[in-house]
Amino acid sequence: MSESSSPSAFSTLAELDRLVHEPARLAIMALLYVVESANFTFVMNQTGLTWGNLSTHISKLEAGSYVEVEKSFVGKRPNTDLRLTPEGRTAFSEYVTKMKQVLQEFPNQ
Amino acid sequence: MTNQFNLKEIERKAVRSTYQDGLLDIYLGLVVVCMSVFVFRPSGGYSPQNLFLMLAAFCMAYMLFWAGKKFITLPRMGQVRFGAIRKQKNATLGLILGLVILVQVAIVGLTAAGRLIPALGEQVAAFFGARNVEILLVAAVGSLFVGPGMMLMAYFTDYQHGYYIAVLMSIAVFLMIYLNQPLYPLLIGSLIILPGLLSLAAFLRKYPLPDQDAAHE
Repeated sequence: MSESSSPSAFSTLAELDRLVHEPARLAIMALLYVVESANFTFVMNQTGLTWGNLSTHISKLEAGSYVEVEKSFVGKRPNTDLRLTPEGRTAFSEYVTKMKQVLQEFPNQ
Repeated sequence: MTNQFNLKEIERKAVRSTYQDGLLDIYLGLVVVCMSVFVFRPSGGYSPQNLFLMLAAFCMAYMLFWAGKKFITLPRMGQVRFGAIRKQKNATLGLILGLVILVQVAIVGLTAAGRLIPALGEQVAAFFGARNVEILLVAAVGSLFVGPGMMLMAYFTDYQHGYYIAVLMSIAVFLMIYLNQPLYPLLIGSLIILPGLLSLAAFLRKYPLPDQDAAHE
């Protein structure tokens, strides 16, 4: 690690949004970022998370106003639609930019 | 880490996952089967009945596809609405297919009017011997209608089986018109349907129906 790059990389790392940084939430947000909306089952299948795990992470993202949750019924089945809010899109985009910046600043081994 | 941020790949993977059920393969295979049964020219010639039965069969095939998506795929796999990237790709596909169809219609029009190079027609006739060159041209043009169009669709919709289906459909249309018998296209239709059925079986195993009473959150 070069002396000039280390402090900058570390300070950027410290600035990362921890709500997005967690791997499962990062996967959820990345998926929702590239689609307009997806329901709970689709996100669960794509991310490989369990029902309970996904539910917990969605609750956290919803509490942070990053994900909008819309519940309805399709026939007799409950349906939960998920989409990123504008705040969520911005947060994800900023996270990706910062992370790329951090990785670029680390020297190649 | 770079792979994690390859958003295009994430979107492509999500799109491709919607074809896992094999229903589109089955539908396209059924379209070939319907065409081979109803489009080939019976000894008595075409009749409005041929056309009506073919349209009815197409409608039934589409209804099967729709019902499969609604009652098999969606409850198991979930639903997704794709965003701006996909809408732009679909718009580009529509535009290119429109242009391709315009060119093909022009070629068919010229062929029908007998304005294509007569010398070339004679050469092709000599090469294929006794076969009617007019039928050969119609078969080739029909085949060119289907093949490139289907390949473009496969490219823009990330439908990987589409390339295989494009080649088979193209051959099916050519044989159907040139040989005027439904057996080969029927067999080709089966070659499209069979992988679709296998995909459907794998899909049903991979995605069991989730518990209806499970709370979503």
